Amino acid sequence: MTASTARLAERWDRPDLNPPRPRIAVETLAGSWKKTNDKQQWIDSLIVDTEGDSLYVTIFGSAPPSPPSWGRKRAEVLYSGGIGTGDTRAGAFTAHYRFDDFDVEVQANLNLGLLVVATFVTCRHSGPLSDRFTREFFYRAVDGDRS
Amino acid sequence: MTVTAPVVTGLDPGVLVGDWRNTNAEGSIARIVCTLRDGGSVDVRAYGRYAGTPADWGSVPASIYAFTFEERAAGAFSARFELGEARVDLQANVKLGVLVVVELITFLDGSGRSNFFDREFFHQVKR
Repeated sequence: MTASTARLAERWDRPDLNPPRPRIAVETLAGSWKKTNDKQQWIDSLIVDTEGDSLYVTIFGSAPPSPPSWGRKRAEVLYSGGIGTGDTRAGAFTAHYRFDDFDVEVQANLNLGLLVVATFVTCRHSGPLSDRFTREFFYRAVDGDRS
Repeated sequence: MTVTAPVVTGLDPGVLVGDWRNTNAEGSIARIVCTLRDGGSVDVRAYGRYAGTPADWGSVPASIYAFTFEERAAGAFSARFELGEARVDLQANVKLGVLVVVELITFLDGSGRSNFFDREFFHQVKR
């Protein structure tokens, strides 16, 4: 095996990784996240909190038709930043929201200290609005941040 | 591989359709081919390279999305590949001519491998 293919194999083919899986470090993602963009956008802010090994996200909309408060949802799947680690400094989570007019799949990942949040919005009724993709960026608010 | 029902949409998927190659020769996915499906949606075929050699993951129907509620041009898609030992969700969007692909890998085999997140970039091969 060449060095190149060895690196490739490390992606998935890891018979050395026996159960149990490493615990996913959900706490790394926790916090209050605010939009980096001064202008209105799809999501204004998020709160990520944890209970044991579970992660919950609460989303606040920025401008209609984004609901002002999306509510709190449990993340459905948690992803680490690598196949052999539970480190989430480059990890991600997914969650789903269901509203009267659309369904939203949320995917958020940490990248260099930013929370990068993508949403896939699927309209539930035929009408003038297209299904929509968003990707927005959020910084972690620190205590005393009133911006 | 599980093929779900095709997604019918009124969006124009033109910018997504094509043969996309990974900008990283050592990336997890070598190639993604997006083809137009009857009804205006898109099928996505991926060639994974996790074991060193490109493997055809097959073709699945994708859901496509515009960048705003008002646009009729699609610029993003999501697609799911069921590979037995793992499920791979691809979430992609075109930005400045580059297909930015988020890969969410969920292992289903009870192994010690962690579900993991990756992101890769693809350029289109012009014919």
